[in-house]
Amino acid sequence: MNCKTAEKWISRSLDGRLDERSRGLLEEHLKVCPSCRKAAAEYRSMAALLQRGKEEAPLPRFWERLEPRLKEEQKIMPLVLWERWALHTIPVFVALVVLAVALFIFTPQAAEMTQSEALLIENTNPFSETKGLFEEKRPEARSMMLIFASLDEKPAVRRQWP
Amino acid sequence: MDEKQLVRLAQEGSQGAFEELVAKYQSKVFSMAMSFIRNREVADDAAQEVFLKAYLALPKFHLKSEFGTWLYRIAINHVRDVLRKRGRAKEVSLEDVREIPVADENAMEKAEMERETEARKGLVQRFVQGLPEKYRTILTLRDLQGLPYDEISRILRLSPGTVDSRLHRARKMLRHKLAPYLVQGGGSHEL
Repeated sequence: MNCKTAEKWISRSLDGRLDERSRGLLEEHLKVCPSCRKAAAEYRSMAALLQRGKEEAPLPRFWERLEPRLKEEQKIMPLVLWERWALHTIPVFVALVVLAVALFIFTPQAAEMTQSEALLIENTNPFSETKGLFEEKRPEARSMMLIFASLDEKPAVRRQWP
Repeated sequence: MDEKQLVRLAQEGSQGAFEELVAKYQSKVFSMAMSFIRNREVADDAAQEVFLKAYLALPKFHLKSEFGTWLYRIAINHVRDVLRKRGRAKEVSLEDVREIPVADENAMEKAEMERETEARKGLVQRFVQGLPEKYRTILTLRDLQGLPYDEISRILRLSPGTVDSRLHRARKMLRHKLAPYLVQGGGSHEL
């Protein structure tokens, strides 16, 4: 047996984890190896100093001090859960806002509307202005209306005579 | 009432059941905190925090492991956090060692011998605090708390082989640190 294995076995023997045969071999080695004998003595001293005494009791009234803290935590718990939930919703909300803005920016805008389309949107009949003209029974009045309508559309231009 | 029933009742909201669990484990949790922290007030506060965390996490505990193992796991993680916040434990200096008189034990009174043994134990535990975290944890659980290997294996989620080798390495490191102060006077501390 070499000293490295012996040291490992000394450590195991402190916990009673060495079988009969290995213990015999270790004892044989310790008889002839002074440095391992010294190591074994040191390990045993160390184990004795590390050994725990009786279990230590906490400061008095442990439960009496703990109970109000538990009750306090119980009260805070729903709030904490809500806060956590709210924190998780923030990225979702931000993502939705970004999506809405992107949709608004990248959706193609409607082309400029024609006059008829504008009238349609305003729910106005494009023929409402000429309605009176068609409904006029008297031919002379209709002729006058046509004359005045044409005057409204085009400003009078003096005809150039050659 | 067995422990599983108590846990189930506590999960359903019974304060009485949780109080029984606290009564059963308060000394164990406090002792563990104490062996890491070495300050009664801070260890007591840590133990309270551990039970508070356990109470809040109780709905997530599915009884896959023993309640004690689960609680110890919470305790170890909490104690690690406390130590991290308090800063790494101070390495033990030679001046600390000289505070302990090495006298002839035959001539000492019994009370004095006990006092010295306690002082030595305190000193060794301070050396333990100076070890890297994973070695300090395993050494505390095994040698200070006296937990069995399989329990340590479950608490730290390590294979039994890893527990064995890590414990050996931890003891080896501690022995090298303590070697100058051990077995003085021809092995007076030998068992």
